[in-house]
Amino acid sequence: MIQGEEEKTASLEFSEIVTSRLGGETIRRCYQCGTCASSCPVAKITERFNPREIIKLSLLGKKDEVLSGEAIWLCCSCYNCQERCPQKVEIADLIYALRNIAFEEGYIPNIYSDFASALLDDGRIVKISRFYEDKRPALGLPPLQPTGVDALRKILSATGFDRLQQKEKSQ
Amino acid sequence: MDEVKVGVFLSDCGNQLSKILDFDALTNYVKKISDVTLVGRRSEFRRGEGLQAIKNAIESEKINRVVVAESLPKLSEVNIVQAVEEAGLNPYLVETIDLKHHCAWPHRETPKEATEKAKAMLLAAIERAKLLEPIEKLEFPTLKSTLIIGGGIAGMQAAIDLADLGFEVNLIEKAPFLGGLATRASRFFPTDDCAICIQSPVSDVKTITHTSRKCVYRSGFSEIPNLNILTTSKVVSVEGVPGNYKVTIEKKPRYVDEMKCIACDLCTTVCPVEVPDEHNAKLKTRKAIYMQVPNVHPPVYVIDESVCKFYDCAKCVKICPTKAINLDQKSEQIILNVGSIIVATGFQEWDSSVIREYHYGDYPDVITNLDLARMIDGFGPTGGAIVRPSDRKPAKKIVMIQCVGSRDRRWKPYCSSICCMISLKHASLIKSAHPDTDITLCYIDIRTTGREHEDYYERAREMGIKFVKGRPSEISRNPETNKLIVDVEDELLKRLLELEADLVVLAPAMVPAEGTKELAELLSIELDKDGFFKEYNAKLRPTETKLRGIYLCGGATFPKDVPTASLHAHSAAIKAVKFLTTGKIVKDQRTAVINEDYCGDCEFCPVTCPYGAISLEETTEGHFVAKVSDLLCEGCGICVGTCPLGAIELRHSRPSQMQAQMKGLMSVNGTSKPLVLAICCSECGHTAVDSSGMAMMKYPANVRVMQVPCTGILQVHQLLDAFKAGAQGVMVVGCKSDGCHYEVGVQKAEKKVELVRILLKEYGIEPERLEMFNMVYIEGNKFAEAAQMMTERIEKLGQLQLMGGS
Repeated sequence: MIQGEEEKTASLEFSEIVTSRLGGETIRRCYQCGTCASSCPVAKITERFNPREIIKLSLLGKKDEVLSGEAIWLCCSCYNCQERCPQKVEIADLIYALRNIAFEEGYIPNIYSDFASALLDDGRIVKISRFYEDKRPALGLPPLQPTGVDALRKILSATGFDRLQQKEKSQ
Repeated sequence: MDEVKVGVFLSDCGNQLSKILDFDALTNYVKKISDVTLVGRRSEFRRGEGLQAIKNAIESEKINRVVVAESLPKLSEVNIVQAVEEAGLNPYLVETIDLKHHCAWPHRETPKEATEKAKAMLLAAIERAKLLEPIEKLEFPTLKSTLIIGGGIAGMQAAIDLADLGFEVNLIEKAPFLGGLATRASRFFPTDDCAICIQSPVSDVKTITHTSRKCVYRSGFSEIPNLNILTTSKVVSVEGVPGNYKVTIEKKPRYVDEMKCIACDLCTTVCPVEVPDEHNAKLKTRKAIYMQVPNVHPPVYVIDESVCKFYDCAKCVKICPTKAINLDQKSEQIILNVGSIIVATGFQEWDSSVIREYHYGDYPDVITNLDLARMIDGFGPTGGAIVRPSDRKPAKKIVMIQCVGSRDRRWKPYCSSICCMISLKHASLIKSAHPDTDITLCYIDIRTTGREHEDYYERAREMGIKFVKGRPSEISRNPETNKLIVDVEDELLKRLLELEADLVVLAPAMVPAEGTKELAELLSIELDKDGFFKEYNAKLRPTETKLRGIYLCGGATFPKDVPTASLHAHSAAIKAVKFLTTGKIVKDQRTAVINEDYCGDCEFCPVTCPYGAISLEETTEGHFVAKVSDLLCEGCGICVGTCPLGAIELRHSRPSQMQAQMKGLMSVNGTSKPLVLAICCSECGHTAVDSSGMAMMKYPANVRVMQVPCTGILQVHQLLDAFKAGAQGVMVVGCKSDGCHYEVGVQKAEKKVELVRILLKEYGIEPERLEMFNMVYIEGNKFAEAAQMMTERIEKLGQLQLMGGS
């Protein structure tokens, strides 16, 4: 339920914000048919994720609930929902948009935060362990070369990723 | 022509207008204008003694141009024009203006300025009137016969209406039997009685009461004397003009003589060919010679030529007791000359196999509502039993899925409007015949908007039919039990369900009947974005098309239930009667005329004309000039605005007449503000000015209104001429962009305004001096605000400097 004027204003703003984001443009087309939820392999195994519910909460302006919750991080990006949505809501892309907003607002699960740090540190989101390095020659693969981390850092800096990540860390 | 003598008639509205406008000054001003030989003033001129005064002036004073300043010309003009005609003057030599709503009322606070504006308005009307020319009325003969395409419920109903009234009616149907979708639908809501039932014709001697409604086969339909029914037939070409169409029909062979067949059924007993019966959802087979169901019309067998062995077999020929079968029958071409055409081609189920996760066409136990209707039908392939097509065992668990392809941006974005009711009807019919059946209906929204329709939803719930709010994502099949599983989220519970089913029934979108596009091309009429036939105006002219003489009814324009299709059919019939009854179309020549000296070899006007009224005719070898059909021309002037050579003019709005009007309006200012010319189309634009006046909204008197048939008539140089004539700012006021009364005129004007703004900039003139406005009648406030805004804008810009002065 929407309560009070303050929340009302906040609600309107959130739905507007999502629509203005890359991937979020189509959210207002949703007529809550549930095709996404029943197409979703994640929803099949856990009630913690339901794309229809995420959209409904967003449309009703439940910004904090959507951004602070774990649900948006559980999408496995299989795009089944997006393929089948009769209103052509770009659901998987929309989840990315919500994740981006959450990241900017300081909501981010630790694992993603670690990925981000790793990316800034050495250009990979997963650190290469000795285990993998040792296996490679046996499989006839060349040893891994260092990533072009300088170029990557430039991109991450130009797109503002590093600043966001700094903000995350300080919070 | 005789010397021009203008009579001017000023109505002061019971001396009310003279409180604002100085009528003595106006009379003196008008008297001094050349060729004005008479000035009259009364309380009103639109009825009684006022009209008589105009008549007298024509008869005794021999005036030959009439200018009337009367309130609400759009209302009073009808009477005035009639009176003028009665007095022996051509009725198109009349010019009317509205001093009340276009001048006195909006400018009542500045009476002196209003009087000066009134002078300009009168001068403009008089100068235009002087240039008016007599316009003739033309008559075009029409045939009192009609062609109805499509023999479903709508087509049959329209045929009965017209035939009962004595018109010659030709009804063609591409299938071998009449009835269309109704023959397969079994029962219809909201009455739950037979689908194949019509209002019987009066020519049926057994029809004794007006309440009679009958099955088609006993209605006497085929015996209506002036009704010619052609089955297995389709239109192959259409030529001619409204009132006189020459239509070529191709009638495919039936191979059975309709006059000889006695429907004894001997032929089917010997026919060795057996194929799945499409009509019965392939739940049974039929022979190569067959009849759809026993109650079809005409009650005559037909041979399916795609499977018949013909002379390799010919057993039916030998056994037929009346020698009705003729394997040598050939396709024949039939020419029909008709005055009007009614399109009643209906709709059909969309092919749901496109939604692959539903497996229609792949799993035999996934069927559609129309398939299910065949099972519910006692005449149907299962005799009323509801079975799984895969093994013919009773279907005890049924899941119904709504909106299959409908409300789906990937396929058909619209709501097909009747499927909720069809599914509710089917669910309750099954439940009442077989109460132990478990039925679950999955929906996004249930829509039961008609009278008594909600009763179906109520009844279904009371009967124990289950409802799940959610659109299923997938249908799968358990290979061991052969049962179907429907994945759906019950949104209200927020729970994922796996519904087990013997039978899944889809409610597919309803789409235009096959061949709709081809027919639209043959008839040169438009389709809407969803592929249905487009009516002339969805609100007020739901059975008419852009072409006079071609009408639409039934599901051809959108999926309809029978009550609506039937209503639509009666409505199309009455429109066709209005068109046919006099045997002629009377139309005045307020049409486009080509100056052949200038015209040549371009193709702009025939392409632009929304009514197909202009064609190109060869003059000398390889050279063409445009020809206008006075019958098809609607007098909008869009061609005038398009012609790059100025070779087209409208007889009633020639550039010279418009120029005179423009100069008149700009001749006197009398206010301290810059003159603004508002060029308004005669439809929404000009009526918006009326309504601002009627509501006594205020705007400054420097804004002058000029009426044109449609803003589409405006030429680039005319807009520039307005500035030359003295306008400091120009408003072009037309209908809404998508609401032009002449289809595309306002859009042309919008583009032209854009172009002229670029030109103005080139000439060093501020482009903001020209602006396009779109409004409708009820937006009088918008006009008043726009007039005020333009005035302020031009005041800020300051005096317009033109080379050589203005």
